[in-house]
Amino acid sequence: MIGGGAGGLITSSKLSAELSEEIKQEKVSITLFERAETQEFQPGYLEVAFRGTEPQKLRRPTEKLVSPGVKVVHAKCASLDLDNHQIVTEKNQEKYDFDYVVVSTGCSPDYSQTPGLREENMDFYTDADVSSRIYKTLQGIKSGRVVVGIAGLPYKCPPSPNEAAFMVDEYLRRHGIRKNVDITFVTPYTRIYTAEPINQVIAPLYSERDIESRTVFNTDSVDPVKKEISSLEGDTVKYDYLFLTPPHKPASFLKGTNYSDEDGWVKVDKLDMHITDHDFAFAIGDTNNIPTSKAGVEAHLEGIVVANNIAMNITGRGTKHLFTGRTQCSMETGFHDATFVVGTYDRPVEKIKPSKINYAEKKVMEHIYWGSLHGHYEWLFKYHFKQDYFSESPAKD
Amino acid sequence: MTTYNIDSRGTACPGPITDLIRSYRKAANGDMIILLATDPGVIPDAKSWCGATRNMLVDAKEKDGEYEVTIKVTAKK
Ligand SMILES: Cc1cc2nc3c(=O)[nH]c(=O)nc-3n(C[C@H](O)[C@H](O)[C@H](O)COP(=O)(O)OP(=O)(O)OC[C@H]3O[C@@H](n4cnc5c(N)ncnc54)[C@H](O)[C@@H]3O)c2cc1C
Repeated sequence: MIGGGAGGLITSSKLSAELSEEIKQEKVSITLFERAETQEFQPGYLEVAFRGTEPQKLRRPTEKLVSPGVKVVHAKCASLDLDNHQIVTEKNQEKYDFDYVVVSTGCSPDYSQTPGLREENMDFYTDADVSSRIYKTLQGIKSGRVVVGIAGLPYKCPPSPNEAAFMVDEYLRRHGIRKNVDITFVTPYTRIYTAEPINQVIAPLYSERDIESRTVFNTDSVDPVKKEISSLEGDTVKYDYLFLTPPHKPASFLKGTNYSDEDGWVKVDKLDMHITDHDFAFAIGDTNNIPTSKAGVEAHLEGIVVANNIAMNITGRGTKHLFTGRTQCSMETGFHDATFVVGTYDRPVEKIKPSKINYAEKKVMEHIYWGSLHGHYEWLFKYHFKQDYFSESPAKD
Repeated sequence: MTTYNIDSRGTACPGPITDLIRSYRKAANGDMIILLATDPGVIPDAKSWCGATRNMLVDAKEKDGEYEVTIKVTAKK
């Protein structure tokens, strides 16, 4: 298992539970490669940035999140050679062999695509400490223009740029300075939210809250002197404060491999997440190229499917599971209301009205997050996702 | 001139339009983008995208439940 975040932890937990006998008998071992000593609850970056939550509240030691039976190697993976079944770690160039491998190394902001963005932007994607810079900045704002939105594709958690717009609005209203500050939302899509049913829900809220939107704005570069963003077509937007969502990139060791696309996203089958042409190798979560949101829910459900299928191959017991493409991203619309972006490969995104109940559901998820990585709440996931939790393969191959 | 062939078949909203925007970023004026999709939303979305970005919609057709949209990149500064 490479990567011990949302996807890697649940996959290794489920594997260790399903293969506990084999692990006891030393027929199977599970190794998790994770470069970081601590993990962060990434959805909480929004709370840090716009409500001033302390960064340390989002952190847990990686070691405590790993289930019994899983060995952790704290190292950065430098290469993964599928033809020779070998992982090489960066430090000391140590080599590890494997029979099965699951990649879940996530994605991170890529500032190299947008000149000027790194110097001017503050984001809520890099980590909790970086996110906290936004809150410090917000506290000093008296007037001007805040620009939020999508500076490039792809990025993780599709609703998060819209949430940022609503949360900045909420902060400024609560502090009585909203009338002195303009908020502009930029997006390369043709709508404020790209899926029409959700757009229908939030576009009226943008008007109501006086959040200006610039759709079909393909951010090209940022001019720190003129305080201006330029689009690929030469249009411009002025800013005083920039909280944009940068385009994201996968882990660098994946780029240039024969199993990833030209940007390094791993090419997988969208139903069982095996890496194209390799039935012993899988990529889940943000790092693969399947056509769904890059979100923790996906990483979780994909991990459950992959762990089940690997355990089935090893033990010969059970049936093959397939991922349904289920997505469920919460979107805060400010003042403790939220909607959800819910859909599957076959079911288009639904129109769900923002409500306090949805917001409460989002909060429940926050409370159970760390335990869910150990697999403690699978009964709840099964109950909640029903037929979307996974589907059964028609052929038991 | 480069032709970017994008296969977005099997992806639903926002898949095809996301793929289009990502290719557009790499393309130069004069390049062609040919987008294949199974999502019927791709035609109205591509039309409104071309209108708003001032790129040229060369063709948009349906055949056997698949959609092919051809765009000439013309609007980059
Ligand atoms: C602001 C924000 C809001 C969000 N809100 C939601 C939400 O409401 N709902 C939702 O479902 N999702 C949400 N997400 C997205 C969610 O956090 C991610 O999609 C999820 O964490 C992806 O899981 P993953 O396992 O693919 O990657 P990650 O959880 O990012 O884990 C990747 C791990 O791999 C490790 N790693 C990377 N490279 C290497 C290497 N070379 N060697 C070893 N280890 C490596 C990293 O250290 C990391 O621990 C949000 C994210 C953000 C930033």
